[in-house]
Amino acid sequence: MSNPIIQFDDVSFSYAGTDSFALQSVSLEIKEGEYVAILGLNGAGKTTLGLCVNGIVPTMLGGNLTGKVTVGGLDVSEYPVRELAKLVGIVFDNPEFQMSQMSAAEEVALGLEHAGVPHEAMHEIVSDSLAMVGLAGFEARSPLGLSGGQQQRLAIAAVLAMKPRILIMDEPTSNLDPIGKQEVFDMAAKLNGEQGMTVIVIEHEVEVMARYADRVIVMDGGRVVMNGTPQEIFSRVDELAALKLRVPEAVALAKQLEARGVWKGDFPVRTETAVDRVNAMLKA
Amino acid sequence: MSISNPLPLALVPGNSFIHNVSPGPKMILVVGYVILAFSTQNIIILYSMAAIAFIFAIWAGILRTFLKGLLILLPIGSSLLALQILAPAVEKPWTAAAELGPVTLYIDGLYYGFVLLGRIFASLAIALVMLMTTHPSDMFTTFTKLRVPYTLNFMQAMTLQLIPVFQREVGIILSAQKSRGMKGSGFSAVLPSFIPVFVGAIERVQQLSISLESRGFGSTGHKTSYRKVKGKWSDTAIAVCSIVIMATLAVMSIMRGSWNLSDQITFSANFVLGLFLLVAGTFLTIVTITIAFMFRK
Ligand SMILES: Nc1ncnc2c1ncn2[C@@H]1O[C@H](COP(=O)(O)OP(=O)(O)OP(=O)(O)O)[C@@H](O)[C@H]1O
Ligand SMILES: [Mg+2]
Repeated sequence: MSNPIIQFDDVSFSYAGTDSFALQSVSLEIKEGEYVAILGLNGAGKTTLGLCVNGIVPTMLGGNLTGKVTVGGLDVSEYPVRELAKLVGIVFDNPEFQMSQMSAAEEVALGLEHAGVPHEAMHEIVSDSLAMVGLAGFEARSPLGLSGGQQQRLAIAAVLAMKPRILIMDEPTSNLDPIGKQEVFDMAAKLNGEQGMTVIVIEHEVEVMARYADRVIVMDGGRVVMNGTPQEIFSRVDELAALKLRVPEAVALAKQLEARGVWKGDFPVRTETAVDRVNAMLKA
Repeated sequence: MSISNPLPLALVPGNSFIHNVSPGPKMILVVGYVILAFSTQNIIILYSMAAIAFIFAIWAGILRTFLKGLLILLPIGSSLLALQILAPAVEKPWTAAAELGPVTLYIDGLYYGFVLLGRIFASLAIALVMLMTTHPSDMFTTFTKLRVPYTLNFMQAMTLQLIPVFQREVGIILSAQKSRGMKGSGFSAVLPSFIPVFVGAIERVQQLSISLESRGFGSTGHKTSYRKVKGKWSDTAIAVCSIVIMATLAVMSIMRGSWNLSDQITFSANFVLGLFLLVAGTFLTIVTITIAFMFRK
C-alpha cells in the first residue's frame, strides 16, 4: 500500500502546435491503493495529467514533454501505450465515442483480444466484468442501443476486463443521472477497497469527492496548486473560492456559521459530520 | 434510439445458414464471382450468378436491405443499356431497330450491354450478400490470417464499424435541425447536416482512437478472438464446390472465346425500342428527382 505507483517529476508539457503549457512543473506521487480526486476548472490540465499516466501523452498526442513520468516503475515516454494499457485503464466522459463494437461482449473483449488472452478464458472474464458494473446479461446488446449510464458502465467494464492496477476516470458521470453517478462511484470505491486498485477520478462534484477520496489534488493553469486530504483541502475555503471552485455544502454552511461566531474548530467535509455537529450544538 | 435502418453495407444481424458460413468460403465465392464474371460473356451464366446471389439473400433473410444496396444499379444499368442502344460498342455495320426523332436505335450493342450489366450485377450482388451476412470482426480475423497488411485491415474494419454510428449521428442532427424549425428531410436538409457530422466525426475518431489505444489496440503481438471462427465441414464443402464449378465455367468460357452467345440470342426491333424507352425513362426520372431534391426550398 505504500510504494508510489505513479510519480511525476517536475513535468511540463505543451501540445504540439501550441506554446502554452497544459502542464507546468508538476511533481506528485500517488501510492498504490490510493483514491485520488482531481479538481480544477476547464482547461486546468486535468485530462492531460490523466493521459500522461498511460502514455497517450506524449506518445500518441505529441508535444513537448520535459521532466519524467514513471508508472509502475516504467518511464511512460519509453513504452508504447499498449504496454501501459496492461497497467492503466482510462475512461472518458463521452462513453458513446468510446464504443466501436457490435455487441457489449465484444466491446469488453476488445482489449483482451489484443492482449492475446486465450479464447477459452475470455468468456468468463467478459461476463465477470459486465457483472461487476451491473450489466450482467447484456452480452449481446448493441452498445449504441444502451442508455448513457449503461454505456458509461460498459466503457468501465471494458477497462476492468484488462485488470489494470490503476483506474483513471475522467469526468465519468457528466452524462449520468444521480442514481447512475452513485453507481459509478460506489463501484470505484468497491474496487479500491476490496481489490486495492488505485483510483484517480477527475470530477467536479465536490460532495462525492469529499466522501470517497483519500486525497484531493487541485489544478489550475497546468499547475498542481493544492494537494492534501479532503479535510485539509476543503477547509481552505477562501483559496478555493479564489480559484472559482466550489466547496462541499457542509463546509460552506460551517464557514457561514463561523463568520457569525457560532462554529468553532474543523470544517466538516461530509454532510453527516455537519449534521452531527449542529445537532450537538443545538442540544448544548 | 436503435439502428433501425442500417446502410446497405454493414452486417444485418441474423442466424441463418448463410450468416454462419465462415468468411473464408464467402470470400472465395466473391473472388470467384468476379473472376468468372469477367472471363465470360455468356449472359445465361452471368444472370444465373446474380439469381443465385438473390437466393442467398432471401435465404439469409436480408432481402430488403439487399435490394436497397442494389438500387445503385438503377442509374448505372439504365445509362449503360441506353448507351449501348445508341452507340454500340461493336464493329459496324450496325442494324437499326428504330428511328426516334433525330436518334437511331441499334440492336447490335444490346447483347454486350447485358453482359456489362450482368458482370456488375452479379459481382455487386454477391459482395452485398457477403457484407451483410458477415460479422466485421470475423472478416477482420480472416483477413489477418490471410496476412492482409494490418493497417489496411484495420481501416476497413473501422470504416464498417463507423457506418452505423454516422448514420445515427445524421439522424440526431436532422431531428435537432427539425426542432429548430429547419427542414428535416430531403437532400437540402441532409447537406448542411453533413458539416456538423464531419466536425463531430473528427472529434469522435480521435476520441475513439485514444480509447482503443488505451485498451491495447494495435499491439503487434499474437491476437486472439472472442468470436470463434469455426472451421466446419460445410465451409470446406462450399469452398470446394464453388471453386470447382466456377473454375470449370471460367475455363469453358475462355476456351470458347469468352462464350459469347450474341449469335444465338437476338433481340427484336420492338424489344429494343421498348427497352430503350424504359431505361431512358428510368434514367431521366432519377436525374430529375435528384435535381429536384437538391433545389427544393
Ligand atoms: N489535443 C490537444 N491539442 C492542443 N491543445 C490541447 C489538446 N487538449 C487539450 N489542450 C489544451 O491543453 C490545456 C489543458 O487541457 P485539458 O484538457 O488537460 O484540461 P482539463 O482540465 O481536462 O479541462 P476540462 O475540464 O475542460 O476537461 C487547455 O488549454 C487545452 O486547450
Ligand atoms: Mg478534461
